Amino acid sequence: MTYILMAEGLSFGYSGQPNVLEDINIQITETEKVGVIGPNGAGKTTLFLLICGVLKPGVGTLEAFGDRVRHGVFQPETGMVFQHTDDQLICSSVREDISFGLQNMGLDDREINNRVTEVSGITGIKDLLDRPPHYLSSGEQRLVAISGILAMKPRLLILDEPTSDLDIRYRRRMIQLIEGMKEQTLLIASHDLEFIIETCDRVLLLDDGGIQADGEVVETMSDRNLMEGHGLEVPHSLTSTYHRHRGA
Amino acid sequence: MHVPDGIVPAWVAITGYAAAGGTTWFSLDRIKRKYENPREMIPTASLLTAVFFVASLIHIPMPPTSVHLVLSGLMGVVLGWYAFPAILIGLFFQAVMFQHGGLTTLGLNACIMGLPALLAFGIFRLRYLRGGDKPGPSMIFGFLAGFSGLVLGALMSSLILILTIPANLDVSVERAAILSLLVAHIPLALLEGVFTALVVLFMLRVKPGLLEAELK
Amino acid sequence: MIIEDIASVPAGNPLYRWEPRTKLIGIMCLAFAFAAVRDLRLLPVMLALSLFLFVLSSLPFSYLLGRMRIPGIFLLAMAVVLPFFSGNTVLVQLGPVSLKQEGCVSLLLIAVKFLCIVTIAVVLFASTPLTRMLGSMRSLGLPPLLGDMMLFTYRYIFQLAADFHRASTAACLRGARMRSLKSLKTTAYIVGSLMVRSHERAERVFHAMTLRGYGRQDMDFYKAKIRPPDVIAGSACVLAAAGFVLFQLLMP
Repeated sequence: MTYILMAEGLSFGYSGQPNVLEDINIQITETEKVGVIGPNGAGKTTLFLLICGVLKPGVGTLEAFGDRVRHGVFQPETGMVFQHTDDQLICSSVREDISFGLQNMGLDDREINNRVTEVSGITGIKDLLDRPPHYLSSGEQRLVAISGILAMKPRLLILDEPTSDLDIRYRRRMIQLIEGMKEQTLLIASHDLEFIIETCDRVLLLDDGGIQADGEVVETMSDRNLMEGHGLEVPHSLTSTYHRHRGA
Repeated sequence: MHVPDGIVPAWVAITGYAAAGGTTWFSLDRIKRKYENPREMIPTASLLTAVFFVASLIHIPMPPTSVHLVLSGLMGVVLGWYAFPAILIGLFFQAVMFQHGGLTTLGLNACIMGLPALLAFGIFRLRYLRGGDKPGPSMIFGFLAGFSGLVLGALMSSLILILTIPANLDVSVERAAILSLLVAHIPLALLEGVFTALVVLFMLRVKPGLLEAELK
Repeated sequence: MIIEDIASVPAGNPLYRWEPRTKLIGIMCLAFAFAAVRDLRLLPVMLALSLFLFVLSSLPFSYLLGRMRIPGIFLLAMAVVLPFFSGNTVLVQLGPVSLKQEGCVSLLLIAVKFLCIVTIAVVLFASTPLTRMLGSMRSLGLPPLLGDMMLFTYRYIFQLAADFHRASTAACLRGARMRSLKSLKTTAYIVGSLMVRSHERAERVFHAMTLRGYGRQDMDFYKAKIRPPDVIAGSACVLAAAGFVLFQLLMP
């Protein structure tokens, strides 16, 4: 069986510093939606940058779509939406920004136009296309950033803290958007555990440079000892369920 | 384009400091006249100075070598009268952090980069004679600002180096040396011109205010 | 390229304890005196003085070497040109090229001056945290507007460098080749975006600062007391500098 993503004994440290990630083993199959949780500085973003080929693994193997991830090579099949949209939105209009990756993929203008229209329909930002991305609300910016990646039709989509700057309404839109992504494989890092519960069917707990837990979302996150042992809390919705069950 | 320590005679270095001091004073005077509270623009000017500092570290390959952007022209276009103090500050930090440039030649280097920035500032203003803030003229004058900023800087540094080096070169050799140094800088000047025009176009679309009167 | 506001010279070092204003004046005078050297007899003195300051700073040699790399390229270019093109007195004839005495002398002069000035500049900056340096420059008469700009610029350089780095990583992940001429437009866009965002951010920074009373008084800056040893060290440098100049004026 080929995995969409497979890491074996993966370690990484920034030069001259102790390893940020140590002996990471992950297998993710097609269309899985996997949440990545863990305290600040656990290495979530580092892991993502490794998967994208931005960083070079120290030891171990890292394969995406059955091939070794090549360092520094453009791979539109893996798309990553950065935690801060400021890092990603650089063009002078939303349309141009969504086209950015498509142009680099070498697509022709008609295809680019089609994809921009299609993706902006999905994310619901058609009326923003001609505005500079710098002056949109943070919710709108988030949608534009995702559109820029979605347009490249990645098979593996990585979202780094997608809800950190969203209000309730945009957070709901984000959840609906992800629910609509039936074909993509998703990797979502978030401190918003309720968001993970709603969007993912599997969760990885990353701390101290290693994967401390890997399992079904509700089951893993209800484990109070596990969660509190790694600087997290059991999400409220799960505790109330827990209490109700105990009362009954 | 940076003149390092120990190469030019002391009097040239001291003259550089004097000229840089005078130009800074003149710029600050212009800034004070323009603003009731000149401090209001300090965060903006400083953050933009930091952007330029970072941008000047970008290396762009130009076979057979790679070059870094000088950005005098763009600084003049965006910072106006703040350009000279900004360049002085940027060079100070470069000297402190990377020993890029020099301690005794800080004033001289500020003039080599800063006076072209003021020239570019002037050139970019000329666009008001030709259609103002329309994309076409803005890009053309942006290109000219970036291009001439670099050419003037290259001319100044070549002149200073060749004329003050303690060498008994004869006049024809000197002239040839200066000319070839200038010619060698033409591709760089084109690069700066195009880069400046691109940033100008970006600003025009995203935040035209930054190109107009805010800092000038 | 992250550099924190700490000095590389350990805090107990005499150079670190040397009060920044007298240190700045002393070392600057020395640097200019070095720049003014034309007499070859002064080179050993200059080297000895620089070496003394460097050894006193207890900086590792590799630190100095690292700092010499960028400006050293320039020196290398000089070394290629000067000995062959400058002067008339031929020392060695190597086929069509001839090594000339005047060129070699000026190269020696330039190289030693360069080496010495860079060394004492490294000692000066490595033994003084930058905020202290800026504070002392202000109390020496740097215009407040310039002083404030320097502090702010310094505050944001590292943040913006990190911002730039992340933005270019994000662009690379969308297929931009940042290390090619084709990326000029992308680079221009990133720089433009940084400028636009910095501009907005600066407005917020300014509001936050005025709310905390900025502009009512000069910003606080570092003031260390000048003690007798500081004056002695500073005067020693100034005297040495004067000695260099006088020697060349008086001695034939």
